[in-house]
Amino acid sequence: MAKEFKTLLTEIKLPYELAYGATWTRFFEGMKEKKIYGTKCSRCGRILVPARTFCPRCFVDTDEWVEVSPQGTVLTWSYANYRYFGMPMDPPFISALIKLDGADVGFLHIVAGFDLDDFDVVRQTVKTGMRVKAVWEDERKGHIMDIRHFEPL
Amino acid sequence: MGRPVAIIGVGQTKHGRRMDVSYPDLVREAVLRVFEDTGLTPNDIDGVVSGTMPSMMEGVALTHFYFADAMQAVGKPIMKTETCGSTGVSIAHTAFYWVSSGMADIVLAVGHEKMNEGDSQATMTTVCEPFYQRHFVAGAPGAFSMQSRVWMDNFGIPEDKVRDAAAYISKTHHDSAFDNPYAHVKLRVTIDDVKNSKIITYPIRLLDVCPNSDGACAVIFASEEAVRKLGRKKVAWVKGIGFRGEEYYFGDSDKAVWQSAIQAAKEAYDQAGINDPRKDLDVAEVYNPFTFQEMMFYECFGFCGFGEAPDLVLKGTFARGGQLPCDPSGGTLCTNPIGATGLIRVAEAALQVMDKAGDHQIPGSKMALGHAMGGADQFNGVMIVGSEL
Amino acid sequence: MANRVAIVAVSQNAGAESKDNFYDQAYRVVKDALDKAGMSREEIHTVVSASSDIFHGGISCANAYYWESSAAFLKPGSRQDGESLFALAYAAMRIMTGKHDTALVVGLCKGSENPENDTCTHMFTDPFYQREVGLNETVAAALQMRLYMERFGVAHEQCAKVAVKNLGNALRNPYAHKKGIYTIDAVLDSKRVIDPLTAMQIAPKSEGIIALVLASENKAKKLTDKPVWLKGYSSSLDTFNFGDRDLLNGQLKNAASRAYKMAGITNPRKEVDLAEITEPYAFQELLWCEDLGFCDPGGGGKLIDSGATQRDGALPVNASGGVLANNPYVSRGLQRAVEAFLQIRGEAGEHQVGKKVKTALAHGTHGFAGQCHAVAILGS
Repeated sequence: MAKEFKTLLTEIKLPYELAYGATWTRFFEGMKEKKIYGTKCSRCGRILVPARTFCPRCFVDTDEWVEVSPQGTVLTWSYANYRYFGMPMDPPFISALIKLDGADVGFLHIVAGFDLDDFDVVRQTVKTGMRVKAVWEDERKGHIMDIRHFEPL
Repeated sequence: MGRPVAIIGVGQTKHGRRMDVSYPDLVREAVLRVFEDTGLTPNDIDGVVSGTMPSMMEGVALTHFYFADAMQAVGKPIMKTETCGSTGVSIAHTAFYWVSSGMADIVLAVGHEKMNEGDSQATMTTVCEPFYQRHFVAGAPGAFSMQSRVWMDNFGIPEDKVRDAAAYISKTHHDSAFDNPYAHVKLRVTIDDVKNSKIITYPIRLLDVCPNSDGACAVIFASEEAVRKLGRKKVAWVKGIGFRGEEYYFGDSDKAVWQSAIQAAKEAYDQAGINDPRKDLDVAEVYNPFTFQEMMFYECFGFCGFGEAPDLVLKGTFARGGQLPCDPSGGTLCTNPIGATGLIRVAEAALQVMDKAGDHQIPGSKMALGHAMGGADQFNGVMIVGSEL
Repeated sequence: MANRVAIVAVSQNAGAESKDNFYDQAYRVVKDALDKAGMSREEIHTVVSASSDIFHGGISCANAYYWESSAAFLKPGSRQDGESLFALAYAAMRIMTGKHDTALVVGLCKGSENPENDTCTHMFTDPFYQREVGLNETVAAALQMRLYMERFGVAHEQCAKVAVKNLGNALRNPYAHKKGIYTIDAVLDSKRVIDPLTAMQIAPKSEGIIALVLASENKAKKLTDKPVWLKGYSSSLDTFNFGDRDLLNGQLKNAASRAYKMAGITNPRKEVDLAEITEPYAFQELLWCEDLGFCDPGGGGKLIDSGATQRDGALPVNASGGVLANNPYVSRGLQRAVEAFLQIRGEAGEHQVGKKVKTALAHGTHGFAGQCHAVAILGS
């Protein structure tokens, strides 16, 4: 396509190697075994999922590991129907915050397992407050996508 | 507390798709305008604050280096402020503190972005860490769509009503942009156009979303003493500032009763002596990259009660002729060079109280609010300016 | 100046690679600084951090990520990009206005996770002219070094001596990343990375989370009986195009003279007791010492030969080992302030200098051949 002004087309890609640290390592090890772990703040008592080393509000170490349910309630959701460079997932997909049973905060993941191309189906199927459960990958690598998605119960 | 500080002039580029100029030349355009507006020269400047979105946006790191000359900052003390989408307001805060502390008398603040040179949504995805969240947040629209739904559900606002009110905001802001010579998107839209536009991240549709803009904004802040020395009459005094950030993890905090927005505004109101913002403010430049979110800000800023914004929007309370006009410039919805956007909100608020806003002037404005939001739906910053010290 | 501002407590982590993730590591250092100050998170009024966005960290809008790690949940805060000493100055300004009584300054860089320093600094270039011809901070330094040696007759051995001194000093600093006893020849004979720079004259890529607790005069006196005051500060920026600059007549002189003026210093050679200088390339310590007024222009070589800048000298420079020993790229300037603080308090442990330190200088620089400098003067 002809451009109205001269432009330089260039791309940047840089490598990073990020440490998991002890807490997140344990969380992802749990994922391999189909377990979702949170940590409990000893001061405010909230169970934070994914597991945290410290409570953001109380600013103290969490000191107790708690397994939470792979089932939960949708707190909010959104249907993504656009695309951009480097998007980690192909649209359409449904981002959702899910309050897993036993947790005190929302867990970010996707909701799927039905025809996402038909928006009417999506609109009828997905509701705030709906119950969902984790669908696990057969082969798990200790990665957030070991949960393929959450699907309606 | 601290020394009083005033905004004495502003300069903006013509915002839009500005592939006719290089990035440094774009920055220079705004800087030249603020010098023209104030009659000052670079020799008068004690320090420069620069800011932008993350480097990935245009692929150049530490842009204060790149724009040292464009900002006329060579040989000067420099600060580089960045807080993601709220960068623009944070730049204004930095300039304010610099002057108020007594460390400088006159400070030039510059915000800039050239979004058409990069990929803004790809950049914003990298705001999320790659362990948990990066996979699921569909850029900024995804996060804000989820937030809008939390809000609707939390206060039981019928989705149809919210849809109508958001479309009303889109239409009126697009209309307002025609009265702002610097605005990017100039498009007449109808309510139906908005409601039928393409779904981006449901419930957000294309005409609910801001554009990718190229643009820069430059604002000069001065101490009371400098204002006197320069003999300036029409200035915008900084009456209050506020900033709050909440947790990074999207699921950790309540996004309907949005504490960072509520507390940032309250901090600024307390300083400015504002008790009833809908009455005490004459105009507000609310950061509104998404129509739905603008209504949440009205509520968090105390312009109305929680859950009430859609009704009041549809009554015209926040329209140009209403009780508290919001975004008469067309707002972020029509112009969004992100690193500059928050500073543009502050600049527009200042123009209103200086009675220099031209065709989009709200007559008799004495107290105005500028605002920006940033981070992973996480930061809110406010600056309130007034015509009287 | 309005309200005086003091540093009351500091913390830092070691420069070598750690297993902790960035988010948790930041929390640990910040928590340690608060513990040392005897303060809870609630007692901190405002938080200013310094970090790189994507290139030196891999996550955009970096302070979004570590916001709660830096104790900032629902607090007013801000972030500085580039030179981390900016954050110290900004936090101090916040206190000087009287709006805040206490502030936390946090510098964050986890070098072990990042691409090579030069991969990152390459991104400072403009994409049209300087990027394609390969300019980065090390190339810029090599060009500057050759000019420096040729114009002032400074010997390569004198430059290498800086590395010998600093890596030797680092042996006494538990946080230092690189350390050891080396000869001048060993430094000169190390790998020729980019002539005239050899590997041992170039700073490593280190981790460095740095936290400082600041307080107003009234509050500081309640928190500690040994407050360290911020007496002076300034920064200065040079022109962008590399070829437009006089690489040996840069902006450090401007930044220093303004900081000295604010601190009431007229003769830095006499009035500054110790300096912590950002010298990512060995020769730069000599050049920066000249610009800071510690010796005459061109006298940097003689200064190191005199022994004055040794740990037991008249004006110790980089008693901690400096940046050659520990280079968390973004937070290294703040690390200099932390070291200056420790020396003034007499709490530097094994690398505490012998002389009494009343006034210390912390210097930070980033960008090609010192495009930007910042200078802070701390005093008891």
